[in-house]
Amino acid sequence: MLLNGVRNAAIATARDVGVKEMERGMPVSLRASLQLVSDPKNLDETVEEVFKMMLGIDCRRDSGPVDLEPESVTAVVGFGGLLSGACLFKSGSSTAIKIAAAMTGMEFAEVDDTVKDGIGEMGNMLAGAWKSKVPNLAANCGLSIPAVITGRDYNLHVQAPEFKLVHAYRFDGGSFEVTIICDGLQ
Amino acid sequence: MSEIRTLIVDDSSVMRKIVERSLRQAGLDSMVVYEACSGTEGLDLLKAKQVDLILSDINMPSMDGLEFLRQLRAQNLAPGVPVVMITTESSEEHVKQAILAGAQGYIRKPFTAEQVKERVLPLLQPA
Repeated sequence: MLLNGVRNAAIATARDVGVKEMERGMPVSLRASLQLVSDPKNLDETVEEVFKMMLGIDCRRDSGPVDLEPESVTAVVGFGGLLSGACLFKSGSSTAIKIAAAMTGMEFAEVDDTVKDGIGEMGNMLAGAWKSKVPNLAANCGLSIPAVITGRDYNLHVQAPEFKLVHAYRFDGGSFEVTIICDGLQ
Repeated sequence: MSEIRTLIVDDSSVMRKIVERSLRQAGLDSMVVYEACSGTEGLDLLKAKQVDLILSDINMPSMDGLEFLRQLRAQNLAPGVPVVMITTESSEEHVKQAILAGAQGYIRKPFTAEQVKERVLPLLQPA
């Protein structure tokens, strides 16, 4: 339900801007660039770039699972246009607090609205930077406003996506997971 | 540089804080900052306050940054004040739309304080 909501918002954004580009020129297709769009290196570069530039934090891809915490925070940003799907950022609450602290220079005792706002913005930057790695994707795929979910024991399930990247990352002080789900590609 | 009055329009309070910190690191440490969480709030604020610089996000609920910019120009609010868009959208089409709507600069997220300095400070130099 939530994913449908963010996807619809992203499709509306794509209609506003990106689709105009498609209408003007040759028909644009991402199908032929599936390998480039789903290249795992793009996601790793995106995460390292966003963390380094916005937080001054070095973070690296990690083979292990993310640190288990009772509560987690997930930002969801929908893609709409030539690619539909979502970018998800998920971490435990203590990692979310550390990231929000690095973003704002403030201290937080719990996952409050500012922490949620920061994690949503992190999801937004990751989604935007990831799609900018592929020129046709940057121009013809809109982003939704981020939605943030907090709680315990929840999972996200998408039936038969075109492709799905799930990468874990670690920095000094925490770990998190970034997922790209593509459930439609034109 | 003399005291600059800056309006930052972004639906994310965290991003407003980051933009403000980047501007201060860029040398505008004594600036006065006004914040708005939407284009509508930004327009209302500009009816009451004079500013020297406007930075706005694009992707915002209710009134997005491009509409804010169009309304700003249509209502002749803050004439001559430079507007810089700060956004995750980076395609040529988005940049073109922002320039057509009247933006003088464009910064893609993620950004560094150095990039903010390079794009913003030249806009504040006297002609």
